[in-house]
Amino acid sequence: MAPLRPSSRPRRRDTDGTRVWTWLMLPGTIWMTGFLIASLVLVGVLAVGTTDELGNPRFGFDLAGVRALADPAYTEVLARSLGYALLTCVVCLLIAYPVAYTIALHGGRYKHALIAAIVVPFFANYLVRMYGWSVVLSDDGPVLRTLRAVGIADAGTKILHSGFGVVAGLVYGFVVFMIIPLYAALERLDVSLIEAGRDLYGGPVRTFFFVTLPATRQGAAAGLVLVFLPAMGDFVSAQLMGGPDQIMIGNLIQDKFFQGQNWPLGSALTMLLMLVLLIGMLGYLRRTRKDEAEARR
Amino acid sequence: MTLLRLPSPTAPARPAARTPARRGRAHRRPRVLIAVTGLFFALLYLPIAVVALFSFNSQKSLTVFDGFSLRWYRAFAHDEVLLASLGTSLRISLVAMAGSLLLGVALALGLVRCRTRLGSLAGLVMLVPLITPEIVTGVASMLLFKGLGVPLSTGTVMLAEITFSISYVTVVLRSRVAALNPEVEEAAMDLGATRWQAVRLVTLPALLPAVLASAVLIFALVFDDFVLAYFTTGVDPQPLSVRIYSAIRFGVQPTINAVGTLMLAGSIALIALALFIPRLFGRRGGLDLFSGK
Repeated sequence: MAPLRPSSRPRRRDTDGTRVWTWLMLPGTIWMTGFLIASLVLVGVLAVGTTDELGNPRFGFDLAGVRALADPAYTEVLARSLGYALLTCVVCLLIAYPVAYTIALHGGRYKHALIAAIVVPFFANYLVRMYGWSVVLSDDGPVLRTLRAVGIADAGTKILHSGFGVVAGLVYGFVVFMIIPLYAALERLDVSLIEAGRDLYGGPVRTFFFVTLPATRQGAAAGLVLVFLPAMGDFVSAQLMGGPDQIMIGNLIQDKFFQGQNWPLGSALTMLLMLVLLIGMLGYLRRTRKDEAEARR
Repeated sequence: MTLLRLPSPTAPARPAARTPARRGRAHRRPRVLIAVTGLFFALLYLPIAVVALFSFNSQKSLTVFDGFSLRWYRAFAHDEVLLASLGTSLRISLVAMAGSLLLGVALALGLVRCRTRLGSLAGLVMLVPLITPEIVTGVASMLLFKGLGVPLSTGTVMLAEITFSISYVTVVLRSRVAALNPEVEEAAMDLGATRWQAVRLVTLPALLPAVLASAVLIFALVFDDFVLAYFTTGVDPQPLSVRIYSAIRFGVQPTINAVGTLMLAGSIALIALALFIPRLFGRRGGLDLFSGK
């Protein structure tokens, strides 16, 4: 059989190929643009629009929704959401790092099974998991009963219906997003670097902070973004695990669309949420660009 | 069927330094780390175990287990509303699976092979749902339907779910398509196949395991999805997860434990299936869900 010619295909075929690929790409792209991009634009448009008596959107230019955002009640919710989401990120990092480290460096042949064991429950229904978690953390649930038996908690200690409960819910919901990128980074980590650190008489702590942690910085950064995004937009955790004074921006949005029927304000809040997340994303991108530029030098 | 055994350049090259024999004293068993990991796994599975355990409780309590009974499963089997919701969820998942595969497979092929400016723009559009929180996409979809004057219904949930599953299919399949050797396709064309025939007879069969795996994943994800369904559903039998949401907001309902347990078991079975499908086709490694972008 004649050997294949790996290079220099006839030009005619290349242009022919491009046409085929464009045709294949087109339906999906049109669909996505029509449904997704158009709908996101609509949120922006309605944020400066109004609604009629039946709640149907009416387009116009009315800054009432946007101006309402300045209400201290809303800025307070936004600040709380930011606080809870950031706290969730930190707690997730503190939990995920040792877990990912243990599995990646000490998992041996069970590594893949252990990671699968973390990922699989994450694909199970979010509501059911969250509901189970709220049962576990309830006042006479197993966690508080154990803590009381050990003497860490007393009879009055509560987890549910507090800000602590909300963060616990968010952490439980999204910690897997932190573990996966960290695990990927630690998997790639060259173990001889750690050994070199030890050979140079760095203690375990110094080796960790000067070798391991900087080498996996990008994984941690990716994890922080991946946790921050859904934590900021979540409304189930605050509803199931918190009280009325722990609502987050997601609960506000939900309320404006379903109970309050104030769609312009709901849209304005949604845009505000997008804006906050966009700032976070841009910060992340700048950070990774800088890292990459440094790595190239 | 030898076509299924195309060379797979994505097989990860294992770093040689990680063989156990070369582990030095940097690798003593860290007891503290192992304890933390153990505690993590316990807390990860505790909620799931509690839901499953109390679904078999003979009493209504969620704290005291009185004895084994199937009463909540029977209650579910006789609950017309929940059963109708189950049917709705199944229909939505099937339609979303079919629709997103049809559009997503073509899109993945096109995105990888098409090197025009339109191609890179389409690639960006496709990433938008992955970096947008679900509540935003939910609100946006709802506004789109309301703005177009389309009453919310099971159909609107299907449309919204297709839209967001397309990106998922594309992300999962993109790396697979990129890993295919285009020369095999061109060899088929040298043997007289047209471009379309080459795609249909060579490329698609080679992608089959990944396509089947993402089909199963999409089904599981859409079936379990709550936020998007919540914003786009109408009053006709609502999807199961929306129904569960309204139930658990108003206190404990043991039937939900039974439904939840069935859903957990179903999702876990589907995910396990999706992870094993590539292996059934004799490929090394599972489907790369997170890192293979």
